[in-house]
Amino acid sequence: MSQKAGSAKLSSTLSLSVPFENEKQATIACKSLSPDPILKADELVVTYKTEGSSLVLKFEGISDRVIRVAISNFIDNLKTVVECMDEFDGKKDFLFEQY
Amino acid sequence: MTVDLDKYVKPGRDYYIALGLEGSANKLGVGIIRQPVGQLSQTNRAEVLSNVRDTYVTPPGEGFLPRDTARHHRNWVVRIIKRALSEAKVTGADLDCICFTQGPGMGAPLQSVVVAARTLAQLWELPLVGVNHCVGHIEMGREITGADNPVVLYVSGGNTQVIAYSKQRYRIFGETLDIAIGNCLDRFARTLKIPNEPAPGYNIEQMAKKGKHLVNLPYTVKGMDLSMSGILAHVDGLAKDMFGKQGKKLVDEETGELITAEDLCFSLQEILYSMLVEITERALAHVNSNQVLIVGGVGSNERLQEMMKLMIQDRKNGQIYATDERFCIDNGIMIAHAGLLSYRTGQTNDLWNTVCTQRFRTDEVFVKWRDD
Repeated sequence: MSQKAGSAKLSSTLSLSVPFENEKQATIACKSLSPDPILKADELVVTYKTEGSSLVLKFEGISDRVIRVAISNFIDNLKTVVECMDEFDGKKDFLFEQY
Repeated sequence: MTVDLDKYVKPGRDYYIALGLEGSANKLGVGIIRQPVGQLSQTNRAEVLSNVRDTYVTPPGEGFLPRDTARHHRNWVVRIIKRALSEAKVTGADLDCICFTQGPGMGAPLQSVVVAARTLAQLWELPLVGVNHCVGHIEMGREITGADNPVVLYVSGGNTQVIAYSKQRYRIFGETLDIAIGNCLDRFARTLKIPNEPAPGYNIEQMAKKGKHLVNLPYTVKGMDLSMSGILAHVDGLAKDMFGKQGKKLVDEETGELITAEDLCFSLQEILYSMLVEITERALAHVNSNQVLIVGGVGSNERLQEMMKLMIQDRKNGQIYATDERFCIDNGIMIAHAGLLSYRTGQTNDLWNTVCTQRFRTDEVFVKWRDD
């Protein structure tokens, strides 16, 4: 985690790159996770984009603590997205039996 | 003129299938419904293909917290979706849309479920439909009971409203000014440290059946609205006096017998339900109706149903409609049902428009699928 000199407010930043199997999955993850607004927009800014088959996030916050909480929250939601992909991707015509 | 509900039917099909995801409180529900083309009626009914639910149950004396509830939903959502699909024997290709609860409810649990809805909708290229939780209860109640235009009493852990339909809105006639009735009962259950399994309200109901003495509690109807936090504080105070360090003994004024925890449960139910009956009766008079539909988790309470029945029997052609716990208590099927009606009138949500909201009033929803 780096402390950016000069910018007083959102001084802590962190980048995260999450690899997916393909570009389509990265795009789906981006669209599933990015709509939800950040509650304290003046304390934290998160930007989402895809680079090839990776989902790339940039967290900018007023403190390490704010960023840590945001990342923990992001990972929780990411787990749901990845589990959905593991279980449902390419299975639109699949009949699930005995669950 | 009736609304055309079949503009969006898949070519070559005479029915629709929707999957609904509900997670606004401690129940995670996934349901799959099938609606035939044409207006729904007693001879053209929707069919429940599956209705799976998993409840996050906390230990006695503890309520469910948003963070833990969200974790529960995240852990189970994929498994419950698979179970619902397998019970319904349908594939993703059979579905017309995916419906989810957009509010009202607890923020974190709602959000944990909508993430799954968004991902699945994109993977299977299906439209998303955001559903108001209260409207889900109302539409499912109407479908199951066949009540066509009732006054709706919506009573649950998070909501207490008396609702009547007029001009494509479900309008709120009266509501709680502070806490919901289910919240009041749940919190009293916590004070008494009785189990949250299967539901705190159910356990209060069982204890109340053994109660004999009516303890004096405040009665707080304010016009068409009601207030319950004062009643809770009062009965909580009595319970703490009786079972706390003081060990104060309360006696019934008439018989001189000791007041028990069962008596407190009995008295709390009697006073709260009388208040509900009063405002419901007044709403019936306002809209000149003789049908009452009770929905929401507290609606499964038999004593409430009985008291409402006594009131409605005194009205000309009065009828009461209630559903059992499968449809009363939060479930995915009601979200699928209401969402599918919405979908059939062309209402879907783009991804950026699927953000859930804790506050989402019943009368904000444009009821496009009705025009009576």
